[in-house]
Amino acid sequence: MELLLLIIPVFFALSVLVIPQNFVRIYSLLGGIASLVLTIVIGMNYQAASGYHSIVSQEWLPNLGLTFNLGYDGISILMLSLTSGLIPIILLSNYSRELASNRTFSSMLFLMQFGLIGVFIAMDGILFYIFWEVTLIPIYLICLWFGAPERKAALMKFFIYTFFGSLFMLASLIALKAYGAKSFGITDLYAVELTAKSACWMLGGFFLAFAVKIPLFPFHTWQPDTYSKAPMAGTMLLSGIMLKMALYGMIRWMIPLFPEALACWTTPVIILGTIGILYGAILAIKQNDMKRLFAFASLSHVGLIASGIMTFDQDTLAGSMVQMINHGLVAVGLFLAADIFERRLGTRNLSDLGGIAKQAPKFAFWFAALAFASVSVPFTSGFIGEFLLIKGLYNYDWIIGVVAGTTLILGAVYTFRAYQLSMYGPVTTNAFADLSWSELLAFALIMIVIVVLGVCPQIVVGFVEPSIKNLIETVQSPTTLVP
Amino acid sequence: MDALIVIFLSGLLALFAAFAKKPALVLATASAGLIAAIALFCCQLHSGHSFIRQYEGLDFNNSFPLVFGVVVSVFALLIISVGYERFREEPEHTGEYIGLLMFSLVGAVIMTAFTDMFMFFLGLEILSIPIYVMAGSRKGDLRSNEASLKYFLTGAFATGILLFGIAWVYGATGSFNLEEITAAIASGDPKNSMLLIGILLIMSSFIFKVGAAPFHFWSPDVYDGAPYAVTGFMASVVKMAAFGAFLKIFSTCFGTPELMSFWGPALAVLTVITMFVGNLSALRQTRVKRMLAYSSITHVGYTLLVLLSGSATAEADLWFYMTSYGFSIIALITVGIVVNDPEDKIEGLKGLARRNPFVALVMFVAVLSLAGIPPTAGFFGKYMVFSNAWTNYSWLVILALVNSAISIYYYLRLIGVAVSKEETPGEKISLRPLTAIVLGICLVAMLGLGFVSNCLFSLLS
Repeated sequence: MELLLLIIPVFFALSVLVIPQNFVRIYSLLGGIASLVLTIVIGMNYQAASGYHSIVSQEWLPNLGLTFNLGYDGISILMLSLTSGLIPIILLSNYSRELASNRTFSSMLFLMQFGLIGVFIAMDGILFYIFWEVTLIPIYLICLWFGAPERKAALMKFFIYTFFGSLFMLASLIALKAYGAKSFGITDLYAVELTAKSACWMLGGFFLAFAVKIPLFPFHTWQPDTYSKAPMAGTMLLSGIMLKMALYGMIRWMIPLFPEALACWTTPVIILGTIGILYGAILAIKQNDMKRLFAFASLSHVGLIASGIMTFDQDTLAGSMVQMINHGLVAVGLFLAADIFERRLGTRNLSDLGGIAKQAPKFAFWFAALAFASVSVPFTSGFIGEFLLIKGLYNYDWIIGVVAGTTLILGAVYTFRAYQLSMYGPVTTNAFADLSWSELLAFALIMIVIVVLGVCPQIVVGFVEPSIKNLIETVQSPTTLVP
Repeated sequence: MDALIVIFLSGLLALFAAFAKKPALVLATASAGLIAAIALFCCQLHSGHSFIRQYEGLDFNNSFPLVFGVVVSVFALLIISVGYERFREEPEHTGEYIGLLMFSLVGAVIMTAFTDMFMFFLGLEILSIPIYVMAGSRKGDLRSNEASLKYFLTGAFATGILLFGIAWVYGATGSFNLEEITAAIASGDPKNSMLLIGILLIMSSFIFKVGAAPFHFWSPDVYDGAPYAVTGFMASVVKMAAFGAFLKIFSTCFGTPELMSFWGPALAVLTVITMFVGNLSALRQTRVKRMLAYSSITHVGYTLLVLLSGSATAEADLWFYMTSYGFSIIALITVGIVVNDPEDKIEGLKGLARRNPFVALVMFVAVLSLAGIPPTAGFFGKYMVFSNAWTNYSWLVILALVNSAISIYYYLRLIGVAVSKEETPGEKISLRPLTAIVLGICLVAMLGLGFVSNCLFSLLS
């Protein structure tokens, strides 16, 4: 049954192409919900304590060392829920626009979902790489077909950057095989014994791929351009889900594969992440374009998550999981807000906006709620996530912890600056239609999940705890064959 | 051997069929011959059955020439089918065009089946001479004439060098026969300077034939000037045959560790130069065929890794890589023929997605396959080659990966022009059934080959 996770998106990606124009958007929404329901069912049946659960495990192309290994544990299920949960929200936020009725758009969205789900359940190195690259194609086409007019250069940069990074991951995988892995199955890869030096190099290959995708400072230069030139749905996919692939990759692949190299990589990555926190936040404060502002804010937030992951201890990892979910939801919400401005007024520059709260009270309310979620006030999921992450970093080194803690202050500065400049002040426009029902629903769903997770984070933490424990054991004793 | 004869005879028949001035008849004769040949190859591969088993200097009793033969015949069939769209515009010459391509294919099959240097040389010439003619087949076109002359002059020069090399090797080992040469090398002095000179000369002529740097200067001009179908033939069939022979000679005769340590480093340096020259030149091209020519130089660079790897599965790797590359290049060539832009500019592909979505889809997949993006066959091919070369030449693999990343730039440019939607579309393109079938076959092959590579490899062992 779990294979349906992959089959449903493919089915909808193909079938939506032949659906009559009028039904496309409702059909796609159904497709999104179908995946979501399936994911929830799987999540319900999953016994958190049982750890790893295999879906398929068989020979595929033995001459290449490939196995067809799919499986999941708590971490994967969490990422699957994020993917399957955000896809309907993305469809919903586009619902009152013509894009939602576009067959190729829906098709590409489902193809994207297919790739993402594959990434989260692939338990074979090359299979992971294949799904990882497969996601590039639909996102490229979505941005190419539906993006802003000057998108081509930005897209080129994005594609070359990410492709370049992932090729080094491929090189590391090839090298790992040459070091005597029986196959690319994850247990075989975990079992390879490496010297610290070679492990350092190979971890570097994975790190390049993930650092570009996350993106970490200084590999982030593609990000603001691509985010601002992509269509709303593309930006949501990129920031909401795609960058979680890389964070997930760090947890599942990069660190457990090369625990020998953790010692020499932890500090540099944490420092880069921390620089990213400050750098992203400071640039976000100065931005005028709202989408760019949120892009830099995203850079700041994921810097924190990546740093936290590198400490690789129980609580911090749990915090990073919560924060990944939180960031996905908040990013989608904020980019929806930015796009609402752009749709209604034709601009998203803060200098041209003002006084919208009076004309659109519903929008003002939900945007404010999201802004609070974004700065991690208590009772939102961000609070739990950031608290655990900062605590972990503080335990690692108090200076890092203090610097990372500034994210809370700086975050408030740029978020509320954007909110104030756009919502209050002199009225610059006179006609601003309030939220449509679909947009309202999207905002409400996002906020409900954020608040629920903020009130009882135990849902997530309890879910992933045994899986995280497994991973940490794997890292501490590389011979344990637990994926 | 049966298949070889069938190909030759059907080529001959195609020439006679041309007297009827009915291009369709010529096409039918040639395709029937090719399909029969493919069937014979498959039959022999499957059951080992063959009517004529022995011929001096040719050996079809192992799977290597058979699997190569199948693929080059399929390529030739596809190319003749799509090239027909142009060939039939000159009904009085269709027979020559198709006949010459068939004869060239005969050479290609010989190039993978030879057991002595003499047969190898014959095969090479049978392969090349029809192509010299075909490159110049657009008689009124200056660039086509230039291509033909350039290819002929440089080709003749390279052949001279090859003969010279064979002579040195003969001098050192006293034989033309590959087995005897191998035996003589094993028993004699591996550092015999006569032999080493011979190896270097043979290698340089191969470098020329496959179009690797620094002997690649002919290839962009020839690819660009020759008609589309001929370019496709050169990039798929000729290249595959040349690499097959290259691997055969260098892995059987000159594959001993001592000799490999002699020519290996030299070839490694050439590989690096080839990859970078091809890629960096392709970045700035504005014409489709020229860009493909430079990108094919880069692919030659990747393929040379197979020869360097010294891995036990080198034959399979080479075969799979060239097969996946061939299908992609044939797909692109078909797109070029269908679009039929006399200027052949990349900009001419604008709005292809609107003019014909299917053609745009095939082109998209073909370019992804060339770029080596999963899940296309190109990725699996690249992956095999790179992972097997890793043990001996890991630094070279890293450079090859860097080159793959560079190449994305021009591949994406091609996709960006063809697939983007907002460009003002030209008139719709309607496909002839034959062309549509060829595109469909290429599409299925590019998407599916990687996933069945296991079954394919079991054929070779």
